[in-house]
Amino acid sequence: MNAVELTAVTKTYGRTRALDAVDLSFDRGVTGLLGPNGAGKTTLLRIVATSIAADRGGVRLLGRDPHGSHAELTGIRRELGYLPQELGYPGDMTAFGFVEYVAVLKEWNDRARRLREVRRVLELVGLGDLATKRVSKLSGGQRRRVALAQALLGDPRILVLDEPTTGLDPTQRADLRRTLSALGGHCAVLLSTHQTEDVAALCERVVVLAGGTVRFDGTVTDLVATAAGRVWLCDDPGPDALVSWRTGTGRHHVVGGTPPPGATATEPTLEDAYLLMLGADAVRAPA
Amino acid sequence: MTTTWHVHDDLLADYVAGRLDAIVGASVEQHVARCAECRASTTPLVDPLLLARGWDAVRDTVQSPAFPLPVRLARRCGLPEPTAVLLAAASSLRTAWVVGSFLALTFAALAVVLAGGQLLAPFLLVAPLVPVIGVAAAYGHHQDPLETLVVTAPYGRTRLILLRTLAVLASVLPFTVLLGLFLPGPAWLAAAWLGPAVALVPTLLALSSFVGPRVGVAVVALGWSAVVLFSLRGLPATWPVEATQQLVYLVLAAVSLVVLAARSSRDRRMGAVL
Repeated sequence: MNAVELTAVTKTYGRTRALDAVDLSFDRGVTGLLGPNGAGKTTLLRIVATSIAADRGGVRLLGRDPHGSHAELTGIRRELGYLPQELGYPGDMTAFGFVEYVAVLKEWNDRARRLREVRRVLELVGLGDLATKRVSKLSGGQRRRVALAQALLGDPRILVLDEPTTGLDPTQRADLRRTLSALGGHCAVLLSTHQTEDVAALCERVVVLAGGTVRFDGTVTDLVATAAGRVWLCDDPGPDALVSWRTGTGRHHVVGGTPPPGATATEPTLEDAYLLMLGADAVRAPA
Repeated sequence: MTTTWHVHDDLLADYVAGRLDAIVGASVEQHVARCAECRASTTPLVDPLLLARGWDAVRDTVQSPAFPLPVRLARRCGLPEPTAVLLAAASSLRTAWVVGSFLALTFAALAVVLAGGQLLAPFLLVAPLVPVIGVAAAYGHHQDPLETLVVTAPYGRTRLILLRTLAVLASVLPFTVLLGLFLPGPAWLAAAWLGPAVALVPTLLALSSFVGPRVGVAVVALGWSAVVLFSLRGLPATWPVEATQQLVYLVLAAVSLVVLAARSSRDRRMGAVL
């Protein structure tokens, strides 16, 4: 049994179809969701986080049905960690106070155990020393880590992270990667990001969403392999390239199209493969 | 001062185990406090679990935020500790909010007392609205960034909102009842304002389940103000809280509760009605 199983999941907002018959299942390990803005990433994550209900299709989380009884839903929520894309913090709460508040909402009722758990997750995200600082006084990256800390409470079996790396500097990103890959050993981590390098560094599996449908689902190496022989370095921008840009060395990095004269094939990156996968969509709505 | 004498190992073990009498114990303690070497030899004798527990207790006190005064008082009356953590986060249970509510109510009551019973409108206007505004402030909008998280927590958003509502009522109602006792006019007046107050809170919750608490509280406040202002046009001062009107409030409360119940049974799966 997979931790997360979605079959033909559809969700519409007014006339916009955010998800169109999406079939996906996830189990232990880190899965990255890539896609342009409006691709349906956040909708998908919110459905898995039991924040919204799907209009149609089957959702099974940890073998249970979130649309079933209240007890079943609560059972799922007890083993779920969720980092929303945006998170507000009540007025003058400290980092510790905020995580403690969420811990109570997650039914950590024994005070001593709760405080120990709050300290543990704050240490895990490297905020042990800033625990008593007010959230409003923290930097953007530190705030993001407070938000991540609450998602880690109680070692959830499903961890849903909507853009966890936003606002983090390279060191913090590296720390986060370390934390998440350790978690991936026993937990289904599902994260969305705009950063292809995060996916390349972190995820065993990558799912590309566009226009509410799954365009690719496989390993990072498989996605990169789809771009083999379609990326070049040359002196001129390709005439019919999907995208090309002048690199620091003065040569042009050309993705897609026909190779211009004098072009040398180069190793594609995950970003190249992602751009090629989405084709015109990616250029219209760059991720 | 340098010390050349150190506490003997056996003596130290007895000290750590608490086997020494008061005088010897105190002198060993005096020495250990000043002698780094003896402190170092004490460390391995102390149960690490005990030390860790001690440090945890210190950290708990320092890191866990203190409760605001109203919540501390409620704790004394037997409010469970986890519930206190939840209530402490609601702005309308902070000391400033509660004091503000009391002041507003006191001034309204004073205005009525000074008018010698000719004018009840200030108190009748303020008394039912204070709990309504408190409830509205206590819960965030459905689309609030924090609320997306609250919705997915096992505790449940509906339960949290009802808890905050009860807490607001518990913090404001007794004081308002007390003030009502001092009002000039018929004795039943002291409790009469409870009718609209009790009706407006479920009305607010029912409205909020459609339009969110901000619009909801605006509609309720304007509606109630209109009723009170209407009574100023030549009607008796007690008109807004007389028997017929009370019946209307009762019906309003009943309808709101039915709406709430219907909404929550239909949409309960995601626990996000309120």
